[in-house]
Order: sequence, then C-alpha cells, then structure tokens
Amino acid sequence: MEKTVRLNADQREDLVAYLDGELPDEQVKQIDHVVANSAVARHEMEALARTWELLDVLPPSKASDDFLTKTMANLKVLETPFRLTDQWWFVPVRRVFAIAGWITALFLCGWLGFQITRHWIADPHAILLNDLPVIENLDHLQEVRELEFLNELKRANLFDDAQEK
Amino acid sequence: MASTTKPVENLEESGFLHDPEVQLMLRAKQGDDEAFTKLVATYQDRLTTIFFHMRQNQEAAEDLVQDVFLRIYRARHGYEPTARFSTWLFRIANNLAINSRRNKSRRKEVPIPAGESTAMTGLPVAGQNLADKSGLQPTRQLDKRELQLVVQKAIEQLSDQQRLSVLLHKFEGMSYAEIAETMELSVPAIKSLLSRARDSLRTALEPYMQLGKEKR
Repeated sequence: MEKTVRLNADQREDLVAYLDGELPDEQVKQIDHVVANSAVARHEMEALARTWELLDVLPPSKASDDFLTKTMANLKVLETPFRLTDQWWFVPVRRVFAIAGWITALFLCGWLGFQITRHWIADPHAILLNDLPVIENLDHLQEVRELEFLNELKRANLFDDAQEK
Repeated sequence: MASTTKPVENLEESGFLHDPEVQLMLRAKQGDDEAFTKLVATYQDRLTTIFFHMRQNQEAAEDLVQDVFLRIYRARHGYEPTARFSTWLFRIANNLAINSRRNKSRRKEVPIPAGESTAMTGLPVAGQNLADKSGLQPTRQLDKRELQLVVQKAIEQLSDQQRLSVLLHKFEGMSYAEIAETMELSVPAIKSLLSRARDSLRTALEPYMQLGKEKR
C-alpha cells in the first residue's frame, strides 16, 4: 500500500472496529498490514484513538439525591388502586346528588298525595253529576208507574238521548 | 417499548438467568419492591448520564430516567428474561428517547435563557459565554471546563443514533453486538454508525487534541 493514499470508507470502518477490538482475526491481520505500510492509516488511527480518549473529560452525570425516593413514591402511587371516595370531587358531587335526591323525593311525595286524594276520597259533586240525567227527568220519571215501561224506554235508548242532550 | 419481549420457552436455557440484575427483576416481578429499588439505585446515574448527554438538560434527563423505570415497573408482571437486563433497559431508554425527541420537535421547545442554564446543563454560564466570545480558539490554553464544553458541542453535532451508540460504547462499555441489540439494528449498521460518529468527532476535536492531552 502506498504510504500517502487515503483510506476508503470500508477501511475506515474497519480501522474503528480494529481500535474497538471488534474486528475478526482475519481482518485484524489486514489492518495490521495496512497500518504498518501506510503513514496515512497510522495518522488516522492515532487521531481516532486520541479523540476517543478526549471523551473521557465528559463528566458522568448524577441523578439528584432524592431521585430514588421520588421515583419509588411515584411507583407506589401507580400501584394504589383507584378509589372513588379518595377523589377531590367526590364530596361536593355527593352533596349535589343528596340535594337532588331530596328534591325528587319531595316532588314524588306531593304527586303521590295528589293521586291518592284524587282517586280514593269521594267527590260529593261526582255523585250529583252521575245522577244528573235522573234529576233532570225526575218529574217525568215520577209519572211512570210500571217498571216494564221504563225498561222499554231504556231499550229504545231514550235515556242515552236525554243524557246526550 | 416497555412491553416485554418474546416469551422464553425454557428459562433455565435462556442463559440470562445468571445475570444478577435479571434475578433482581424476576424478584420484582414476584412483588419484591426492595429488588426493584436496588435496580433503580444501580441504574439511575448511568441512565441520567446517557440522557443528559442526549438532551443536554439535567431535568429532562431525570424525567426520562423516571419514565424508563415507570415503564419497567408497569411491565414487570409480564417480564421474561430474553436478554441481559441492561440491554433490555437501554432498549426501553432508546425507544423513550426517540419518542421524546419526536414529541419535542412537535412541541418546539422554548430555549432556556443563558442565565438559567447552569443548573440545566451542568456547565458554567461563564464558560459558555467565554466559549461563544472566543470561539474557543484551539491555540488558546483551555481549562478542563472549556474542554468539556468543546467535547460536549462535538457530541451534540452527532445524529441521535450516532450519539447514543457512542455513549453506550464509551460510558456503558457495550460491544457492537450489545449496542445492536439495544438499538434494534444490525451489527454492521452499528459498525458503520460508530465509524461515522468517530470520524465526525475527530474532525471536530482534532484541533484540541494536543491541548486535551495536556489537560488530562
């Protein structure tokens, strides 16, 4: 190999792998040969090795002192099962539901009371209204002496007509 | 992602059971929180270092580290040892870093004013200003802080993948095969990635090499 010829891309890759001890034995021999015969390769290898060493000045970073405690506490929170009663909104929402429940119950009681009153306590006017056709025709009815005659009138729908009127 | 890998048919034959950290994780899987605490304690600084050099921000780095542990903790019940624990952990970290980078580019982060950056980057503001003003001329004498800044800038110029592969190789001492497994790439891809990364680093740092040698 000519001493000043630059290395190609593959050789440069191999050179880095060679420095990292990642090259198979066969290729190691090839690189040994290249380095021994090329000043460019030697310079390249030295430069790569020295810049790599320069990375040693980078300080290792450190997690903050309370990192472990904080992380483990967060993990615990993650594990805690979700409980409705622990939520901040639970108490106000429960209060709103309680008030709404009472209002609904009151309304239902009122409505139920109204229905009971309406259906179970007799209305005196209802009886009068029911007997109204008889009351209206009382004079005529009093003149009737026989039951058979009344039945005849009923069969002839005479009372219905009178009611409709 | 944190979801566990393929189930192992025969755990005894998986070969990873001898890894003490796999043992700790298996104990954590059974509900042993003390074992998990040990894992967090072992890896918190190592992960913070990687994420710090990825994001140049201590707070963001710690948030990401915490995220990694949260994911692992959530996934612990389905954990199967199909790789060394560190490989699995850094794979999760890699996926998280990619996602966070994606989210960051969507959100367009507001840069932190120079006056507030000391705590975040860990580098002195004075040093940063000095570097900006002087352009860190290689001919000038550099102190160690300034040299750190120069190296950090060189690392920043790498692509995300190059940077991570460099950090895993340099700080974690991972082999190409381990990096490949962590980053879910092939070994030749890692070889090429590292070669290009080191080439870029050489270009950026060559002017400072002699000075660096004196300072270290």
